[in-house]
Amino acid sequence: MFRRALLGLAALLPLGIGVARAAPPAPAELKIGTLYASSGPFASISMPVYDALKIWINEKNAEGGVFVKPYNKKIPIKLISYDDQSSTATAATLYNQLITQDKVDLLIADSGSVLTSVAVPIAKEHKMFLFDVSGTGGTFFTKDNPYIGLMADPVSTIWPKYIADFLDDIGVKNGIKKVAILYSTNDFTGTQAAAVRGFIKKAGKLDIVYDQGVPTSTSNYTVLLNNIAAHNPDAVLELGYVGNDIAFLRNLQDSGDKFRFVFTIYGGTEMDELLKNVGAAAMQGTFSYVPAALYDYKPNFGPTLEQFRAAWDKAYPKGSGVEWGANAVYGYMTGLVLERTLATTASMDQMAIHNAVFGLSGKLNTLDGPFALNAEGAQVGEITPLGQLQMQGKDLKLVAVYPPKFAKGKADLGK
Amino acid sequence: MPDRKRIAGDLGLAALVVVAMSVAHGVYSNELLLFNFVMFLTLSQGLNLIYGFTGYLPFGYVGFFGAGAYGFALAVMHLHSPPLLALAIAGLAALVLAVILAPLLRLSGAYFAIASLAAAQALYEVIANPDLQDLTKGPYGVSLSGVFAPRLSYFVAVAIMAVTFALVVWLRNSRFGLSLQAIREDPVSAAMAGVSVVRGRMVAWLLSSVIAGLSGGVFAWHISVFYPDTVFDVTFSIFATVFTLFGGATTLTGPLLGVFFLYGVYNAIGITVPQYFQLIYGALIMGLVLFLPNGLVSLLTRRGFRVP
Amino acid sequence: MLVGALFAGLVFGLYFTLVGLGLNLVFGVMRIVNLAHGDFLMLGGFAAYGLFSAFGLPPLASALIVLVVFTLLGLPIYYLVVPRLLAARDSEMLSIILFFGMSQMIEAITTIAFGATERSLPGRLLGVGPVILLGQRLPSSWVYSAVVSAVAVVGVYLYLYRTRLGTLTRAVMVSRDEALATGIDVHRVSAIAFGIGIALAGIAGVFAPFMLGSVTPAIGAGINIAAFAVIVVGTLGNPLGTVLGGIIYGVSLMLMQTYLSSWANILPNLLLIAVLLIRPEGLLGRQVRRA
Repeated sequence: MFRRALLGLAALLPLGIGVARAAPPAPAELKIGTLYASSGPFASISMPVYDALKIWINEKNAEGGVFVKPYNKKIPIKLISYDDQSSTATAATLYNQLITQDKVDLLIADSGSVLTSVAVPIAKEHKMFLFDVSGTGGTFFTKDNPYIGLMADPVSTIWPKYIADFLDDIGVKNGIKKVAILYSTNDFTGTQAAAVRGFIKKAGKLDIVYDQGVPTSTSNYTVLLNNIAAHNPDAVLELGYVGNDIAFLRNLQDSGDKFRFVFTIYGGTEMDELLKNVGAAAMQGTFSYVPAALYDYKPNFGPTLEQFRAAWDKAYPKGSGVEWGANAVYGYMTGLVLERTLATTASMDQMAIHNAVFGLSGKLNTLDGPFALNAEGAQVGEITPLGQLQMQGKDLKLVAVYPPKFAKGKADLGK
Repeated sequence: MPDRKRIAGDLGLAALVVVAMSVAHGVYSNELLLFNFVMFLTLSQGLNLIYGFTGYLPFGYVGFFGAGAYGFALAVMHLHSPPLLALAIAGLAALVLAVILAPLLRLSGAYFAIASLAAAQALYEVIANPDLQDLTKGPYGVSLSGVFAPRLSYFVAVAIMAVTFALVVWLRNSRFGLSLQAIREDPVSAAMAGVSVVRGRMVAWLLSSVIAGLSGGVFAWHISVFYPDTVFDVTFSIFATVFTLFGGATTLTGPLLGVFFLYGVYNAIGITVPQYFQLIYGALIMGLVLFLPNGLVSLLTRRGFRVP
Repeated sequence: MLVGALFAGLVFGLYFTLVGLGLNLVFGVMRIVNLAHGDFLMLGGFAAYGLFSAFGLPPLASALIVLVVFTLLGLPIYYLVVPRLLAARDSEMLSIILFFGMSQMIEAITTIAFGATERSLPGRLLGVGPVILLGQRLPSSWVYSAVVSAVAVVGVYLYLYRTRLGTLTRAVMVSRDEALATGIDVHRVSAIAFGIGIALAGIAGVFAPFMLGSVTPAIGAGINIAAFAVIVVGTLGNPLGTVLGGIIYGVSLMLMQTYLSSWANILPNLLLIAVLLIRPEGLLGRQVRRA
């Protein structure tokens, strides 16, 4: 009897301690720090992420805050953000500012590899978990650094997997033999070029007849296209930034050259921006990645794409200068990961945050697709199906065509 | 005796800034912001060495900075040098570049400025080229996390700054420095008075470039992960130039004033409204050139006051 | 591929002649370097975009409007800054810094007004599909741009050699001091040349969305280096030498793209340095400056 009572007490003890630990005095606000680039080369990928993140924060604050498990209550979010103007030197200072001066509770990196790069060592040094939105640089994810997790973009090396698979499978069946690769020499597109080259060579079914890098500032592709045409490829992959893709597609139309398969990264991922600058006629029939912004995944947490799009259009009506696109989904999706992390973390300690984020891996499905991290924190769950821009009535639509599991239509490879 | 007093004044000001930046590290915790101040103080004075004393304005000053950063990175990556040796290699890289570019000194000011910018961009294109990926990592950037030591590299940066200040003080007060200024005012008469124009310019050019190279090296060490775009960002040249012009070249005070005021304002308001700041910057540059080409300190110097 | 690249380079180079022409005119008359040249070009691109979006104006009509408006715009800018600048001791050097400041201001204002994203005009405005010229295929927009460039070059030639104002302008180009002494209104002549220089940049800008894919407020800086390379190669201070510079630039760029594509950007920089060091007076060069 006595022993049982004692045992019972003993069993209660840690629980009591647990309760006491579960409710430390809650802060009045939860500080989330991030950077954005309102100008410079990364503005177009950074601002949508930032604007979308603000939608998530406003939604939470309208509900009285975000639920934080260690305090067992909702806490309003305070967003602390600075403009790095696409400069890494400025960004480095500002990340430091967020950590050391503003003492933010959670740190979110700016969009893209370049502006994320400087945050990686700083976050590691200060033992601060870095929510890496779309910095996919291969050097970021190492075994000795637990303070990083990639949210929205898969690492660059797995992006072009389905391009290669499609060409090796359906392409070869339809008589595609020769491939040309033209890429801009920067981290993001160079890595993808290397990856797709590797996939194609490994399969050994296709012949790479042209493989050239050009400076990222290249703005005229007429002669390059002429040279590519001289090699008679069936498929042309142009891997560049938005400005490159605009110039490439325009010059392709001007040149009159026809290739059976043409791929650009931003034809799909920044479709609105490209439509504005290139026009539907020049984009029709080309292939691109299908970004989350144009694909209905079945989320098990958060709104569907349609619901989020409605919220976005309400916050940023047409003409407000904020463009809808994949990066908007990335930003909002990062908010959702934050929300689940805060709802499951054992404490606000940064390693506990790390454990909570990694605990979501494989379990969370958002409007951006499945969320899965490898041991180093790189995103491997997100996928980028291959899509083709096809005319449906009067509108150009991006139709997922590969892999079969995600396909919503059939690829048209022409003659 | 007044000479000695002047030197003491100059050195006093230099020492004050060096001590202040050392103490600040213990007081204020945004180390990188402090580091950037130290870096721009060094770069502005380095630019001052060549622009203030010879009238040659290298728009491509950032080329030496980048050469230093990559000199440091390559030494660490390929030779596994300890950081201080790598830093020496950074300085050497900039020195070699300066020797290669020395023929540019034959050009007159405007052409020199633009040619040096073109040279810096050409170097960037070489280093960022994917064909050299095995050597430089091309556009994919370098990671030097093995030698990452923010505290030590901060104080090394302060030491480089101190040496730079000492050089400026020396040039301001030595026969050599005075002969340089004579060249700037009138190269033909200076040459007739027996001043070696070529040698004088060359020395200032090499000193100035080594300082930028060391700055770049210690920047690479401090920041440890960077892309070619980071260290060849023309903003480095622009900032150093504007800071120097704003305060007034040829003095020690001028660039200090420029950095503390303008970079201070930049960090206080520029980062929230960058376009407006860029606008003000642009307007400031135009206003200075038109109305105060010798900088703020000229308000005092033209009234006969001596400014350190 | 070689013939194609040479031919395309020739036509592309003609466009770059237009890009450099105004810069060279301003340099020739005032001995100052307008480092905001690329930004005026960018403004021309935005003007074409704006005129098309608002009124549906085609680029050729926009080019005429830009010609008039930018020339008029140049006059007050000239009087605000240049006379004071020319009074300074080292005006050539100071001009670089001054116009760099102006370039920063223009870029900032444009970004504030229009945002940082790419703007473009529909390709169909200058014809879709290639034009066959001497057996080589070229985008029709290239042909338009090259023709406009040629018209501009002839226009500048006629202005300089067939009008009274042009004769005075040439007198100022030869010697500003002597022109002053003979009673020429140097400032009026220079202001008009400055306006024309900016207008030429603006017209080049109208075609930039077609030649460069799109325009953003930030393109000015890159254009400046290319434009400067063109005029240095083609002889500084001799507006007509710009044709040679443009063609050399265009042809060598296209050859680089063909045979060493990832190194293509190094070209304008090396060309610039090489010519400055080896033949500072430019390829057509009579000596116009002490380099």
